Amino acid sequence: MTEYFLAKYNFWIYVVLMMIGLYAMMGKRNLVKKLIGMNIFQTSIILLFVSAGVKKGGATVPILRHSDYGSVHAEHLIRVADYLNPLPHVLMLTAIVVSIATTGVALATLILIYKRYNTLEEDEIMAIRKDIRSYKTPRILRSKD
Amino acid sequence: MRKWFKPISLATVILTGMLLIYGTHDMPSWGDPNSPANRHISPRYITEATRKTATPNIVSAVLGDYRSYDTLGESAVIFTASISCLFLLRRIRRQRNHDD
Repeated sequence: MTEYFLAKYNFWIYVVLMMIGLYAMMGKRNLVKKLIGMNIFQTSIILLFVSAGVKKGGATVPILRHSDYGSVHAEHLIRVADYLNPLPHVLMLTAIVVSIATTGVALATLILIYKRYNTLEEDEIMAIRKDIRSYKTPRILRSKD
Repeated sequence: MRKWFKPISLATVILTGMLLIYGTHDMPSWGDPNSPANRHISPRYITEATRKTATPNIVSAVLGDYRSYDTLGESAVIFTASISCLFLLRRIRRQRNHDD
């Protein structure tokens, strides 16, 4: 039982992180909190992929050691178990870049939404839009009069 | 409906998490050197990348040489994001409308 826990507990941590992010995206009404939830979700996916490349038993970062650099032409001398799997690292570099790009564009859009509606709460924005659609004065302007 | 929104989303999230935890039963154990992800194609990259690209760092060899078109597209993504941020956030100088 303890061995099963030690073999799988990393996935459970990522599942808990993913649940936090998904709940923040679905259940929260503040748009900034939704964005933070999306970032937590992406972080859990990135951690899941990076953990797929882990090798136990003395494996180091995927940079060739100086001792192995002499034997690049004799490929059977390079022990594969000495180096971590480089492919998840590469793919997650791309995923980090995409997540930064989406976060930047989303933050810029949130600034515009705040300038226009003077709030970031989703239900207040929907109420204002409903008032505009039915040709009523929006609530925020009504309270000012 | 608004009152039930948070419980429904919480139930959906817990259901998804339980399904995923059930799915981890089939995943390879953590740090297994013989897991499918570590056995399939990554040994070829580890043993051949330095000879083919003359780069000791395998991650940068894959990022900049094997998948260089992917990296080019990635820089296009960053460029598009920065341009769209610029267009969203710049101060627009236009003539005042009659209603404001």
